[in-house]
Amino acid sequence: MSSGQNSGGLMSSAGLVRYFDSEGRDAIRIDPKTVIAFAVLFGVLVQIVSLTI
Amino acid sequence: MSWKDAAEPVLTRMPTVRRPEGHVPFKRKLAWTAAILMVYFFLTNINPFGLMAGQSSDFFGQFRSILAGEHGSLLQVGIGPIVTASIVLQLLGGANLLGLDTNDPRDQVLYQGLQKLLVIIVTALTAAPMVFTGNFLPVDTTVASALGVSTFAVQLIIFAQVFVGGVLILFMDEIVSKWGVGSGVGLFIIAAVSQQIVGGFFSWSAVGQVGFFAGWYGILFGDLTIGSVFTADGLQSLLFEPGNLLALFTTVFIFVVVVYAESVRVEIPLSHARVKGARGRFPVKLIYASVLPMILVRALQANVQFLGQILNRTWQGMPAWLGVYGDQGQPVSGFFYYVNPIQQPQQWMWFLGETAAEPWMIAIRIAIDLTFMIVGGAIFAIFWVETTGMGPEATAQQIQNSGMQIPGFRRNPQVVEKVMERYIPQVTVIGGALVGLLAVMANMLGTVGGVSGTGLLLAVSITYKLYEEIAEEQLMEMHPMMRQMFGE
Repeated sequence: MSSGQNSGGLMSSAGLVRYFDSEGRDAIRIDPKTVIAFAVLFGVLVQIVSLTI
Repeated sequence: MSWKDAAEPVLTRMPTVRRPEGHVPFKRKLAWTAAILMVYFFLTNINPFGLMAGQSSDFFGQFRSILAGEHGSLLQVGIGPIVTASIVLQLLGGANLLGLDTNDPRDQVLYQGLQKLLVIIVTALTAAPMVFTGNFLPVDTTVASALGVSTFAVQLIIFAQVFVGGVLILFMDEIVSKWGVGSGVGLFIIAAVSQQIVGGFFSWSAVGQVGFFAGWYGILFGDLTIGSVFTADGLQSLLFEPGNLLALFTTVFIFVVVVYAESVRVEIPLSHARVKGARGRFPVKLIYASVLPMILVRALQANVQFLGQILNRTWQGMPAWLGVYGDQGQPVSGFFYYVNPIQQPQQWMWFLGETAAEPWMIAIRIAIDLTFMIVGGAIFAIFWVETTGMGPEATAQQIQNSGMQIPGFRRNPQVVEKVMERYIPQVTVIGGALVGLLAVMANMLGTVGGVSGTGLLLAVSITYKLYEEIAEEQLMEMHPMMRQMFGE
């Protein structure tokens, strides 16, 4: 049933940065929600500081 | 001891975004992608604290549309650092200087860590000259006096913000790659280019720029006079400003050519070794390496131009053969003029009196740009195919692992590799050169909204890929069995 083009790995050209399945065991893991929350808070904070001075 | 052992403690500890456990439903993937897109647009609208906004020219200039981000915002650096770091990795990997085997789990971890570290270093290297040299991001002196600190201290604050913005882009890309659809880099390029195209079509004078439709409204209702279309002047205003018919033609042409070229392919027949009647095809597409390598060539040119900009602003005694700059900070002669790619029709159409350059100077510039894009496009396409595991050797291994073989040939990776070698390198080189030629052509004829040819090519081809990926995702949602087949 499986055809050659779906045998995985061929779709890896989507991005300039490549992510593999294996990751270092000691790596610091960040939750994606944390990144988004940080980005929004960072933007809001910079805007507030800019407006107050 | 190799460099791997020395660098391992650092590279394996680089912070990464957590991977989803198990399958992420398609709707959830779309939600993550949309959330990242919103955060991206939000951050492009926020000026760094301490910056004198709207007072400076863009460091990236015409390259902005492919490097995304927004001048004078927290996302000042855009995806520039990611692209530059990728160039370094492509060149090192393509020349096999790294000694990393991307099939080995340990080396994969090292590769990812190295990639991340490089992007972070390049972010700092890109942000520093923007802030500290040549007034690209001028300091608001009232902020300095209100805080009672020196201008340099405020520059440091701006640098920190731009740097954090650059690192955020890297992590946002990682979220989209792991949790969303497509890649963050692709998403940001589409966002930047689409914004410009929509602006080019629908903008009107009240929002700053007269767009295509507003221009034609003016022409049809007599607010803009274009003269008779049978005179040279009238024809010129129809084709260029304000008629923009040539730009419309180029934009549509690029769309059509890219979508068509995506479907041009050489199909290598495959059959299953044990299951009789199970057949498949391995497609070698004309644009096999996708259009992404093109961004690497453009980024190389962009980096040369940045160097010119910095030299021009900081080195008073710059010799004329190196570069002479005009009022708006654009090179008008010298080395940096000739290596500056043509970005709009006004830069070469000497017969319209739009440029002061001599025809022979323009000819040299076009020749250099064409050579650079076609040869560079082909070379980077080859590197791209090698480093992303789409080369003859890697694909032969994949076909072998999936239990398929080419009918009429022995079932052996080396044999399959031989057959693949007949097609993949040739198709890659032709595809890369073709895309380079298209990009230069689109730039010379101009596009709606002033997006560069490369930007338009990238946007169309990334959107097409995204469409394919979404279609595949939906197929998997409908039939959970499909997931196994797609190897998830």
